[in-house]
Amino acid sequence: MAAIENTSPAKTASTRPNWIMRDLIGLAVILAVAAIGYFLFPNNLALLTRILGVALLVLSIDLVTGFCGVATLGHAALFGAGAYASGIAAVHFGITDPLLMVVVGAIGGAVAGIVSGAVILRGHGLAQLVLSIAVVHLFHEAANKASVYTGGSDGLSGISPDPIFGIFAFDLWGRTAYGFAVALVVVAFVVLRLITRSPFGMLCRGIKEDPIRIRAMGASVQGTLLRMYVISGAVAGVGGALNAISTQVVGLDSLSFTLSAEALVMLVLGGTGSLYGALIGTVSFMWFEDFVSAANPFHWLTIVGALLIAVVLFAPRGLYGTALMLLDRLKRQGK
Amino acid sequence: MKKSVLAALAVLALSSTAFADTIKVGVVGPFSGPFAIQGKNFKAGIDAYMALNGNKVGDDEIEIVYRDLPAADPAQSKALAQELVVKEGVQYLAGFYFTPDAMAVTPLLEQANVPLVVMNAATSAIVTKSPLIVRTSFTTWQTSAPMAKVAKERGVKKVITVVSDYGPGVDSENAFKTTFTAEGGEVVDSIRLPLSTNDFSPIMQRVKDSGADAVFAFLPSGPTTLGFVKAYNENGLAKAGVKFLAPGDLTQESDLPALGQAAEGLLTTFHYAVSHDSAENKKFVEAAQKAIGNPAELSFPSVGAYDGMHVIYKMIEATGGEQDAQKAVDAVKGLAWESPRGPVSIDPESRHMTQNIYLREVAKADDGTYYNKEIATFDKQGDPGLAAAK
Amino acid sequence: MQTVLSVGIDALAYGMVLFVISIGLSVTMGLMRVVNLAHGAFAMIGGYIASYATQTLGFGYGVAILAAVVGTILIAIPVERFLYRRIYGAPELTQVLMTIGITFCVIGIANYVFGPTLKTIPLPELLRGPVDLGFRSISAQKLFAIACGVVVAGGLWFLIEKTSFGVKLRASVDNAAMAASLGVRTKIVYAVSFAVAVGLAAFGGIVGAELLPIEPYYALRYMVTFLVVVSVGGAGSIPGALLACLLLGAIDTTGRYLLPEYGEFFFYLAVIAIVCVFPRGLLGRSK
Repeated sequence: MAAIENTSPAKTASTRPNWIMRDLIGLAVILAVAAIGYFLFPNNLALLTRILGVALLVLSIDLVTGFCGVATLGHAALFGAGAYASGIAAVHFGITDPLLMVVVGAIGGAVAGIVSGAVILRGHGLAQLVLSIAVVHLFHEAANKASVYTGGSDGLSGISPDPIFGIFAFDLWGRTAYGFAVALVVVAFVVLRLITRSPFGMLCRGIKEDPIRIRAMGASVQGTLLRMYVISGAVAGVGGALNAISTQVVGLDSLSFTLSAEALVMLVLGGTGSLYGALIGTVSFMWFEDFVSAANPFHWLTIVGALLIAVVLFAPRGLYGTALMLLDRLKRQGK
Repeated sequence: MKKSVLAALAVLALSSTAFADTIKVGVVGPFSGPFAIQGKNFKAGIDAYMALNGNKVGDDEIEIVYRDLPAADPAQSKALAQELVVKEGVQYLAGFYFTPDAMAVTPLLEQANVPLVVMNAATSAIVTKSPLIVRTSFTTWQTSAPMAKVAKERGVKKVITVVSDYGPGVDSENAFKTTFTAEGGEVVDSIRLPLSTNDFSPIMQRVKDSGADAVFAFLPSGPTTLGFVKAYNENGLAKAGVKFLAPGDLTQESDLPALGQAAEGLLTTFHYAVSHDSAENKKFVEAAQKAIGNPAELSFPSVGAYDGMHVIYKMIEATGGEQDAQKAVDAVKGLAWESPRGPVSIDPESRHMTQNIYLREVAKADDGTYYNKEIATFDKQGDPGLAAAK
Repeated sequence: MQTVLSVGIDALAYGMVLFVISIGLSVTMGLMRVVNLAHGAFAMIGGYIASYATQTLGFGYGVAILAAVVGTILIAIPVERFLYRRIYGAPELTQVLMTIGITFCVIGIANYVFGPTLKTIPLPELLRGPVDLGFRSISAQKLFAIACGVVVAGGLWFLIEKTSFGVKLRASVDNAAMAASLGVRTKIVYAVSFAVAVGLAAFGGIVGAELLPIEPYYALRYMVTFLVVVSVGGAGSIPGALLACLLLGAIDTTGRYLLPEYGEFFFYLAVIAIVCVFPRGLLGRSK
């Protein structure tokens, strides 16, 4: 699994102001896209909100897959744990403040991150994939069994979050939910940017490149990865909580292998190892899926499959990675 | 301030659709993925109704907007419903194969001023989640409980229940157990299987060991049913005289060609069989088979959709095409009509179908195909599940 | 005792069916190093062809198996040439993306062409009906599946370990450049092994159809099972895959008999335990 594609060029950390500037521009682009989405599709905010929830999951996979080289097909376990944690807090313990619910979701995701990280990090490559699959199935089964708390396969319904700050109620048009989602994604993006740029983030990249050398340097490989897993879990948990808050139901599908696999596909589609790649992958996959499935609800799967094949053939580094590469080539030709 | 602006916007959004000539109905169902056949049946039922009754109510033209929801996914269900209401401007929501998907939509209805006509999702509690829900399918309790009476009548004393470990399975187990125990029978063991089970031989060994006279089963239709019925035959249970009892989901018509001889003689209770003998049903089957393309694919969700369309047409008639969810729902409370499945009515209290439940036996037709042959009728069954939940 | 024997037979039959279906994946994943998530899709294509050949064209069971294996390989040749050849040696995640894409396409097409209903492959008279083993009856088809498993395992072992093609294949896998410079035409070797893997998938799809019925969603529904079985056995190891199938079959079957409600827990906890103890799979080749 050491050969996972690294799309962002390794020479990013040249001079400090340069990357701060670049990140600010990136942030501005994200906000601009969010605003454009709001004004262009005012009637489709529910979809946009859902995309943002899944984007958090994909970002969180990117943390362990793109930055640490851990392969996982079971990341929905962390997402679902966050969703159920905040959902159960709201339904059974009366914690209906959305911000508190997000915190509960983050904690739930982080705890799930410790548990699944402890298992998944015991293997490498294919074994790791299988461990992650086993973990997500165990989580799924556990949630199905604990139907007193989770509602089992009927789903956990009856989550009714309070208005944010007591002012902005969650309404039919989903404006509040969308704003809330954008805010969460932006905060998560900034935090993750700082983390991936920090010495800790560099250590993770180092582990991905060459774990033996890192160990020889005296750093703990397992400990570092587990810490990243906890962070990743918190991010996924926030995504889950956002999902629970905006849709007011949590279903077993949020803990499913299918969701894990789909999210991984979105990440690879966008390009691993870069936060932008994760965002671009999620938005393009989910938008495309929604578009074709609305156009032909009966046979859209073929077209989605064709898209994935086309991406591998024509943009092997993912959408973002390949775009960067083309830009780079253009620049060089210009010089 | 903010609120009043929202309200004004809402009024604008709603009034702009209210007097339009086209009334849109949003249908959410599994049109692709593992349950694609059920979604296809939704569409066939709707197409059949519109082919027989025209696509107009008064001056208003009816337009159906389909959205695909391949598996139970409440988050997506809600997003789709929201999109249908806000973007497409649908006045009615319908469809919904899975319970969690229907549940997810219920909080929207009041604010959207849209009634929900559930065409399949079969958990009793759904109708209690909002006063704007009407269900035209069945509940698992409704179709499972009569089987307990059949078992008693046929002299079965000890039963083992085997169900898939998910909502409908557990519902079915409870329905059978409660009724059968009340009738004086004994349930010797209850097994719940993971949904992903595909080899049922060890289960059949358990059934054998339990010494029961009959096995009551509920599994989702499709591959699991096929595996289960085959294992029942291959492990010699059929020969040993252990009876096979189940609600009709297990022998739905679209699975029968695959089940073939293995299914012959199985007893099921259900609200609808494609073979039901009535003029109304003949008309329906002809139209629906034409709509679905391959006649062998026609199965029970189509009749839920067909009757769902009937209810929606009546609602539109009663409201004159104006968007008034409460008025629409009130108009169909107590509505009674002759459905392809037999006489039905909407119970004003629960807004769920009161209907006949039939005992059927899988039999071989003259042309070598298999069908569900109705052999007894339980008249005008309500939903015992709601009462049990209280 | 009778119960133990009976459950044991069930476990053996289930394990062998798993083996026949997933062994092709072990070849692609272990020897060709391609994470081929589309394995189930090829098994499904085989099943559909066999079903079509028997039901519509009225061929016999044996002819149908042959037609399905050959037909699936014919379909797979252009797929290998234009799609798989691009991902040999690519990062695993890229392979995952491509093969999931192929799976989606196949599902969509199958749904469009054959409709969403279950398809069966009628068995010949000989394999129909139960066989009395004295202590219980078992379907003749299951005995047939066990026999198929034994034959496939033996045949593959012979092909890979004892023939010159096997030598070339192992050489190409260990070091493609070196093998090529020694005159092994690696492209052909890869194409042939891919064809063998696909043929095995189609064969498995038919033999296993009684347990895992053919329908459009087949390709995704059982993907996880195949992947788990192959990894637990150690990708590329025939005896490993056989051992894994028998072991997991036994665990799954016993779990289902004793505690069906927790069957899923049983199975996946066992998988975790095995993978933790044998990170390369039971009999995996060390890299």
